[in-house]
Formats: sequence, C-alpha cells, structure tokens
Amino acid sequence: MATNNPLNSLSSRLKQAAQAFYNLDKIIIAALLALAVINILVQYSANDKVVGRLISDSIYLAISFGLLIIMANINLNQLKHWATTFYITTIVFLVVIFLFGVSAHGAKRWLFIGVRVQPSELCKLSVPIMLAYYYSAKNSVPKWKDYISGLGLILIPFLLIAKQPDLGTGILVLASGLFVLFFVGLQWRVIIIGSVVLALFMPIIWHFLHDYQQHRILTLINPQSDPLGAGYHIIQGVIAIGSGGFYGKGYLQGTQIHLDFIPEKHTDFVISVLAEEFGYLGVCVVLLLYLILIIRSLMIMKQAHDLFAQVLAGSITMSFTLYILINMGMVSGLLPVVGVPLPFISYGGTATVVLMLQFGVLLSIARENKY
Amino acid sequence: MNKSRLIAAYVFVCFTFGVLFLRYGYLQLINHNILLQQSINNYSSIVSTIPVRGQILDKNGTILADNRASYVLAVLPKDVGYNSEDLFASLAKYVNITGLDKKKFLTQMHNSKNYDWVIIRDDLSDTEIANLTAHLYEFPGLSVFAHTKRYYPFNEIYSHSLGYVGRVSQKDKAKIKNQDYVLSDYIGKNGLEQYYESQLRGSLGKKSIKTDATGNEVGLIYNVSAVDGYTLRTTIDNELQKLAWRLLGEQKGAIVALDPQTGGVLAFVSKPGYDPNWFIDGISLDDWSELSNDEQKPLLNRAVQGTYPPGSTFKPFLALAALFLGVRTPDSTIYDPGYFVIPGSSHQFRDSYKYGRGKIDLMQAITFSSDTYFYKLGLDMGIDRADSVLQGFGFGRKTGIDLPIENSGLLPTRAWKAKRFATGAFARDPHQKAWLAADSVTFAIGQGFNNYTPLQMAFATSIIANEGLVIPPHFFQNFTYKNGVVVESYVLNSHQMNISQAPILEAQILESPIIQSPSLESPTSGVSIPKSQFKFIKQAMQNVILRGTARDISYGLKYTMAGKTGTAQVVAMNKNNRQAKFAGHQYRDHSWFIAFAPVDKPKIAIAIVVENGGFGAAEAAPIARKLFDFYLLGAQQLSNVAAGLSESEDTENKDDNIVEAEVRSVQIGY
Repeated sequence: MATNNPLNSLSSRLKQAAQAFYNLDKIIIAALLALAVINILVQYSANDKVVGRLISDSIYLAISFGLLIIMANINLNQLKHWATTFYITTIVFLVVIFLFGVSAHGAKRWLFIGVRVQPSELCKLSVPIMLAYYYSAKNSVPKWKDYISGLGLILIPFLLIAKQPDLGTGILVLASGLFVLFFVGLQWRVIIIGSVVLALFMPIIWHFLHDYQQHRILTLINPQSDPLGAGYHIIQGVIAIGSGGFYGKGYLQGTQIHLDFIPEKHTDFVISVLAEEFGYLGVCVVLLLYLILIIRSLMIMKQAHDLFAQVLAGSITMSFTLYILINMGMVSGLLPVVGVPLPFISYGGTATVVLMLQFGVLLSIARENKY
Repeated sequence: MNKSRLIAAYVFVCFTFGVLFLRYGYLQLINHNILLQQSINNYSSIVSTIPVRGQILDKNGTILADNRASYVLAVLPKDVGYNSEDLFASLAKYVNITGLDKKKFLTQMHNSKNYDWVIIRDDLSDTEIANLTAHLYEFPGLSVFAHTKRYYPFNEIYSHSLGYVGRVSQKDKAKIKNQDYVLSDYIGKNGLEQYYESQLRGSLGKKSIKTDATGNEVGLIYNVSAVDGYTLRTTIDNELQKLAWRLLGEQKGAIVALDPQTGGVLAFVSKPGYDPNWFIDGISLDDWSELSNDEQKPLLNRAVQGTYPPGSTFKPFLALAALFLGVRTPDSTIYDPGYFVIPGSSHQFRDSYKYGRGKIDLMQAITFSSDTYFYKLGLDMGIDRADSVLQGFGFGRKTGIDLPIENSGLLPTRAWKAKRFATGAFARDPHQKAWLAADSVTFAIGQGFNNYTPLQMAFATSIIANEGLVIPPHFFQNFTYKNGVVVESYVLNSHQMNISQAPILEAQILESPIIQSPSLESPTSGVSIPKSQFKFIKQAMQNVILRGTARDISYGLKYTMAGKTGTAQVVAMNKNNRQAKFAGHQYRDHSWFIAFAPVDKPKIAIAIVVENGGFGAAEAAPIARKLFDFYLLGAQQLSNVAAGLSESEDTENKDDNIVEAEVRSVQIGY
C-alpha cells in the first residue's frame, strides 16, 4: 500500500489518500464518526456552552481522526518493528515524570514536550503491542517463565503509573497486558488460581492504597455515609442519570449539570450529562454504538492471520469494553470512583488520541485481513 | 486462536452491556421519579411567608381575637451543625430556655425541612433581644425576628366559642392534606378558629428560588405572595357576653343567647372556661393534665357538648304539640290531686306541689308548671305523636351551628329505646326494650331519656319566639378584608316549621357548611302549626313571668318577657327524700331557664343552665332578667334592676318540680 514514488502528482496523492480511507472498515469508521458527533454535542453542553473548550475538543478529535487514518495505514510489520522502542520510550517517559512531572490534582501525570502529554495513556497502546510482539516472536507455545517475564513487562509501567498516583489508568494498563496473556493462552487454572490469590491478598493491597482511594471504595459501599464529602460525586451522578428518565430533560436543560452539582462533568462524569439531557434513549444509542464497535472488533480479531494481530485486537477490544464498564459503572454508582474517561464522549486529550490509535491498529489489522 | 478465549471475550462483553443496560434502565426508568424529585430539591428552595391571620370581632367591631408581634429566636435546621445541648448551654447566658422549650425544639427539629424556621424561644423579652442581637455572631445560623402571634384579649370569656390556635402538628398536617403550613405555623384547633380556619388563615406565601450547588440564587421559579386571612365578624355582643360570664359567677353552667330574628349568637358562655392563650405555643404537660383532669371539666363546652334533661322547660313544647295534634284544647281541664297514676297501675307520679291544684287548664299548667297535667298529657299523646312535632324544634339533632363539635342530644323514640336496650344488662328483659307508658309520662315533664344541649334549648325557644319561623343559630356575620370591605355576608336562611306525618328521621348530622347557614331539614309537605297556637303558648310563657313560677323576676319589668323555668334532676329520688349518699352539692338539681323578649317582636332568646343550681326560678331566671335588661334597655338600667332584684330574691316559693319518677340516669357532659 505505501508507495515511495516521489513523482506522484497531487491528484494521484489525493487518490491514494482516498484509497487509504476507502480500504478501511466502514462500519467502525461510521460508528466512530457518530460518536464524534455525540461528543461535540455533549461537550458543548458539558462545558456550559463555552465555545473555546469546544474548539480545542474538536481539534483533538480532528487530530485523532487523522492519526486513526495514519495508524490504519501502517503495516503490522512496522508495528512489530517499533514495538520495543515504543515500549521503552513510554517507560522512560514514566520515569522522567516520576522524577520531574507536572502535578495536577495532587498527582504527577503530565509531561510537557511542546504539548502536554500523559505518557501513562500511551502505555495503553505500548504495553499490549510490546506483549503481543513478545509472544508472537516466540513461534512456540509460551512456557510459564514466558508468562512471568510478560508479567514483568506489565508490572513495570503499572507500578510507575499507580505510584503517580493514577490507579485508574494503571488498572487499565495492567488489564491491557493481562488481556494479551489471556489471549495468548494462559491456562484457565492459572487464571483461576491467580484470581484466588489476588482475592486473598486484597487486605494487603488495601493497605497499600492511598487514604482517598480507600475512602472512595468505602463511600461506594455506602454513599450516604458522607453525602457532602466523598459520597457527593456518586449521589449527584446517580441523581443526574435517574432524573433524566427515558427521554431526558432536553438538550442544555440538565439542572444537575448546569447548576454545578456534577463534578468533572466534561471528563469522567460526562455520561451523566448525556443521561440527564438525553435520557435512557441517549444512553442506549451510545451503548449500541459501543456494542457495534466491539462486535466488529471481535470479528476482526477472529479473522486475523497471525497471533500478533489476534492478541493485539483482542486486548484492544477487551480494554475498550473495560473502559466503558469502569466509567459507566463508576458514574452510576456500581464501582468506586477512579479516573477513567468515557471513550470518545469525554473531553478529548491524550486518552482520545490513544483510543483512536488503538482503533487505528484494529483498522490496520482489518485491512491486512483482506489479503 | 483457542475458541474458549473468543467465547470468554463475548461473555465479558455480554456481561458488561447487560449490567450497564440494566443499571441505567433501573436508574432512569424505575427510580426516575424519586431521583427527579431529588434533582428538583437540589436546585430549588422554598422560602415561605406566613400570612397574617384574620381578626375575630364581635358585632360592634370589638376585637375578640387579635394578633400581636412577638420576637423569636429561631434557626434553620440546615444551619444546625452542632450539638443542640451545647447550643442550649452556650445560649443560657443570654436567654432563658426552659425544659419545655427544649422539648418543643427537638420535636420541631425532628419534623423540619431545611427552609422552615425552627423556633428555640418565643416571646423574647427586651433584655433578651438586646443580649442576643449583641452576641448573635457567636451563633451562626441563629436569627432573631418578629412574627405575629394570636392573642385573646378576653381570655377565658371566649374559650368555648373562639377556641384557640396552636402550633401545627404532624397530625394536623396529615389531616388537612395540604402543605400550606410551615413548621412554626399556627392552625385553628378548636371553636371558630378551627371552623373558619381556611378563611381566617389566608394562604401561605411561597417563593421558590433556583440555586446552584453552592447555594447561590440563580433564578426565580415562582413567587406567590401571602394572602392575609379575612376578618371574621361575629354576631356576638361583647358586652352581653361579659355580663353573662360575670352573672354565672363561680357556678358551672352555660348561657346561650340568640337573636331570634337572625339566628345570630349574642352570648355564648360555658363555665368554667380556660384561657385560650395557654394553648398558642403548646401547653405544658402539667398544665394540660390539670385542665383535663379538673373535676369542673373546664375543657367541656357545656353549651354545645353538655346535654341535660330539660326538665320543665320542655313543657311549652309538649303543650304546643298537644294543641297542634288536638290532644288538648285551651279550654280542656283536668283535675290535679297532686299526683298521677297510670290507669291500671298503682304507682303514683308525684307533683312538686303535693296538695294538688284542683281543676286546671293548659294555660295554668304551664304558668305554674303542673307535673300532674303533663304526666297525663304525655300518656294521652304517646311518644310517637310527640316526637313527630318535637323534632321540628330541632330536639335530638345538631343545630348545625358553626362550631366544629356539637352534640345532637337525645329526643327519645320508640325505635331508639329498642336499640339502646338491645344489648347489655337489660337485653334479656323485653320490658326494657319496649316503650312503656311510664316512659311517656316522665318524658312529658322533660325528664326520662330527654337530653339536650343549652344551644338546642335556646334554638327551640327562638322558634317559639318566632312563632314557627326556624332560623338556625350561627356566629358568622361576615368576612371582610383588612380595610373593612365585605367579602361575604351571612345569608338568612329561614323556613316555616312544618310538621309531617312521616316517620321520624334519624338524627341528622350537618357537616360544617362554611358560609351558608345550615338548614334544618323540614318536611316540605307538612302542616304548619297555626300562629294562634304559638301565641297561646307565648301567652302562657309570659304568664310564667307575670304570675307563675318565675314571677320573682318580673319586678319593674319595662318590656314584655316570656319564659319557662325548669329543674333537671341529677339523681332519682324516693318519695321526695334524698338518700343520704346523694346529699352533696354535686347531686343538687340543675337549674334551667328559657326565655325571650319582647314577646311580640322578640329580639333575644335565651337558654340558661346552672349545674347543681337547684330550682330554675332561683338561679337561672334572675340571670336572664339582668341580661335582657342590659340588652334591651342598655347599661344604665342594669344597676337599678339589679338592686330591685336582690331585694325580692329571698322570698320563698321554690315551687318548681321535684320529680318522683323512675329517672334512671342523667347524662351530664360526655
């Protein structure tokens, strides 16, 4: 697909670009465009009609779509080639952040390199690519020591991110790696034993959690214990969702949102904006779009030619599902409050860019499936 | 790839979306209403303005129930972030807070909503206001402000007519089923205050504001101004009321004076009373138990809830029935030997005048209150025919007066007796259930099962005074705005009393028709009692005053007056001898007097009962005379009359009836 002929005329370049777009999976592109439209609508309301924010959000979206198309046209071999470099670069970034990062909300997550970048987000991509590459390069059924080293590859970024502290992103990075292990063929009994051991170690893990993290879990169990403190976010989010009813209160009419009862309403709590103003109907539309993306991705995974493509597609799809579960579960009071944005609806940023890159990888896999 | 991994992936996806679809559906469809209300509560807060309660006036504009300003120390529950005991402790330096205040405060806190003021102390003194305002900065959330409060300037004199207001309770709120009351609000709990609650109250002002999460006002949702209550002008004559209260002295009893031409209540006394001001901010438990356990029953509204056998005051009504039914004519006479015996039996029903009056006619029988005459008349007429006429006078049914509680009294009927004795100790004896000749005999002299309220007696008297025109009693005269402009006036609702031959209806309960005067059901296809027969009875009742049992009060009478004395027996007697155990004051007979004046065009009709007052002529009648003099002649006449009366008071003649009859029991009060 990629040609290196520098003499191509402008029209043939355009044709080429159109071709590059034309070859992509149209169902995924359509679903992503629909979500982008919803994103702009919801963000306009979530930012109280402030146009400035909307413009930067739209720029993020546009750039992300550009990156999506570029990524979709990169061959998987290229991806394998750069996997290790990419992985090490993100780890280096994390270490740098750990030492010199910019603080926001009491956590060091950001790095300025011209623009503000959140390297932990990049790990959501670099870790599964690295692991997929690691196991696909083996050409044999992985042994237990391969799993151990894989686990090491996952835990290094996880611990660095969790230390920031950013447990939400950390868990997602951890999950993206574990999904690779799962699809590579980690035995069920190991999974089960691992889960049991993890459950037994919960009290100890609990001990290592920050106070505010413990508090979030406790208030989830009983939000009314501290209705004006930690439980406030949960209660207000649930009220916003429920008060929307079936049809919602109408666009820009949400009282919970516009009277500032919802914190982080344009980022992590954005589903409450949608739910309050567009009701269950709006929620169902978004869930169905997600479902289309996921099922399509699973079909791509099934058709993939090699292990690298399969496990990478699987990990990306399952991670994506997990983002949705964690975010929507958290805002509706099912899960503790962790900083996980809602895919494609939350205000753009590194998270959106990385998501688009992930889908770019999926599209790339889909493109190569045709050959 | 291993197929189980793919299946596991699908299972995870199904789980995720299943959970989310269900969870959001649960919140948005099933819990929608609750959460929507919570979102509304989040942003809206209601600030209430309590309307100023309408005054209650007498017919001349004297204020009987007023409002006054009172300073309160109050707090919004949402601002109470601290322990209330600590709060009381630190407040103690500046203001006196009693245990009762604390208790009231805690009850209110328990029931409060965020934007309702909860009162810590009411009626702050000037020193307390000064102290508090100087140190209010120490108590964030506390506030000192003025509110209007009910005040009854005449205290206990109007306890049983005006009733009182009190703090609205949760029970009240449930009862009225509207949320137009806030926590520190008052509501009519008794009497006219309760009956005319909605008009006196007006309506609560409500301003609903929209606030953001930090409590800043961002908009107005709605604003409804408070509407002050109407002023209620009653038919009461304050001067007459005060005099009636005074004349009853330390005795228990009731006085009801009506204007027969309008039905308006001129005076309404039940004694003893209580000070309604005690109830406004909640009465302490001690005071309450003292009031409710008082043997004098000050809480009992004797005028409408107390029922008494009417005694001889019943005779004019029975006489009218006799004339109307043709059982007697004015000319027919009987021989009175001083007792009466039912043919075929040997029992003597004794007359209070034990030597007998010989040959007497109906006019004389009323004038001198002959029991013998009426014993025989009762037997001759029979209960059914008597009832058919007497119910027209409102006996045995509520008058429909504009008070929340009224006793219907008891006009005994054959059916009533059968039902009354169908159960209990008498059930096995068929004799008890049947209406006996003896029952008719005692019934005729106002004893036996007869039981009526003083209001019913005054009302019945006004019907005689009006010669058959029925005008139901009421307090209401009009409602006005504060500026005096009339909103609604009493509409006279009268009808001629008709006697139907139809069977007697069950006692009717007239449910508080607010503005319209209640109408007593009168048979449309009936026969009116001829005016001539009314005039005859009126003449007889005038004779009672002029030369009959109440002649003592006729001294210097400057107008025509008609009346009838009565004595209601409290305990059964045996051959005129009180048993030793019934010797106490509480077993003395009740003294009755009914009267109206002037006879031709009556301006006032009255019923007076003095509990344990003995002979009606001695206790009740002089009170009526003084009240009539005052009402008809004016204040300056009263002293002369009173002087004249006291001279003649100790003349003998207590010839009212002591009845020897099988009076079973006499119900007083409940």
